[in-house]
Amino acid sequence: MTRSEAVEAVVKVMSPYIGSTMARSATEAHCQKLGIAGGPVGPEQREALLGKLAGGLNIFLGRDKSASVIADVRRAFEALEGP
Amino acid sequence: MSETRGKGLLPWAILGAAVALYVGWALAPASALYTRLLGPHRLVALASLLKLVYLLAGSASAFRCRDRLEPGNPARPAWFFLSLGLLSTFVGQLCLAPFQVVRNQTPFPSVADIFFVLAYPFIIAALLVLLNAYREAGLPIGSVGERAAIVTGVGVIAGLVVLPILRPVALTGGPLLERILTVAYPVLDLVLLVPLALLLRIALRLRGSHAGDVWVLLLGGFVVLCMADIFFAYFQSLGEEHLDPFVHASFVLSYGLIAGGAHRQLQLLKT
Repeated sequence: MTRSEAVEAVVKVMSPYIGSTMARSATEAHCQKLGIAGGPVGPEQREALLGKLAGGLNIFLGRDKSASVIADVRRAFEALEGP
Repeated sequence: MSETRGKGLLPWAILGAAVALYVGWALAPASALYTRLLGPHRLVALASLLKLVYLLAGSASAFRCRDRLEPGNPARPAWFFLSLGLLSTFVGQLCLAPFQVVRNQTPFPSVADIFFVLAYPFIIAALLVLLNAYREAGLPIGSVGERAAIVTGVGVIAGLVVLPILRPVALTGGPLLERILTVAYPVLDLVLLVPLALLLRIALRLRGSHAGDVWVLLLGGFVVLCMADIFFAYFQSLGEEHLDPFVHASFVLSYGLIAGGAHRQLQLLKT
């Protein structure tokens, strides 16, 4: 899974809750801070990104719902990575 | 499903009808609806009750949002402060209600103003806590320079637009406390507009989403509140009685939008 694929997956899942613009800009900003560049996203980077996204989503949705949305993002990542 | 949608639209239809009623009063005060059927006393009493309902509903929804968010969530105190701000405004309105409903009078200044003024620190604190929560979560709230430019921009707009509007109000010969309070409300609104302007950046990025709906309603409500206070300042200090219907329309709309925003956030947390 590349950075751009990860960003698109996050945008698709999180858009209904926080809008595509916010989902994209927040994910891009987190990727930059975590050093996720153009290459493949490693498992540690993926988990760190999910953690950062959960922190932001918490403010709007609360912990439980945020966890549920992050689980959807994780599934989207896993689908991208394949079996 | 259409029944649920209908139920969801009903409060907005009521709010729209209420605002239209008061705007109609301003535009056609001599029509039979306002002279024979309703009359100024009934209209003032109805506005008083509508304001109480929206303020109580808004405060309750904001408090339930606080309850739904887990301890330690950075947004939790913000909803608590907003709840307190709306509750304080509700108590102020409750102090006025007997005079408005029974006697068709709105005493000013009165004990109600203590609660109206007290609401501002709570609401401003709510917005600042949210801003800080967004910053800590790494959401794009802009660089220090961008934020400084927004604050400066709001200050310049306030200086150029709002202060000249308030100048004749401040120069009237009424009692000092009355003049101070009349000017204080719009000035406090301007202070409120600073964090709102900073939050507008976030709100624009949230557009088209559930969280975006919350911010459209809240920001709209606070902007209309600013307009309502300016209408009130002109009505109260300069005797511009034709503005009275607009005062009621804008306060009802403002409280309705804020209550709607808090309710929308509650739905977002519940569903």
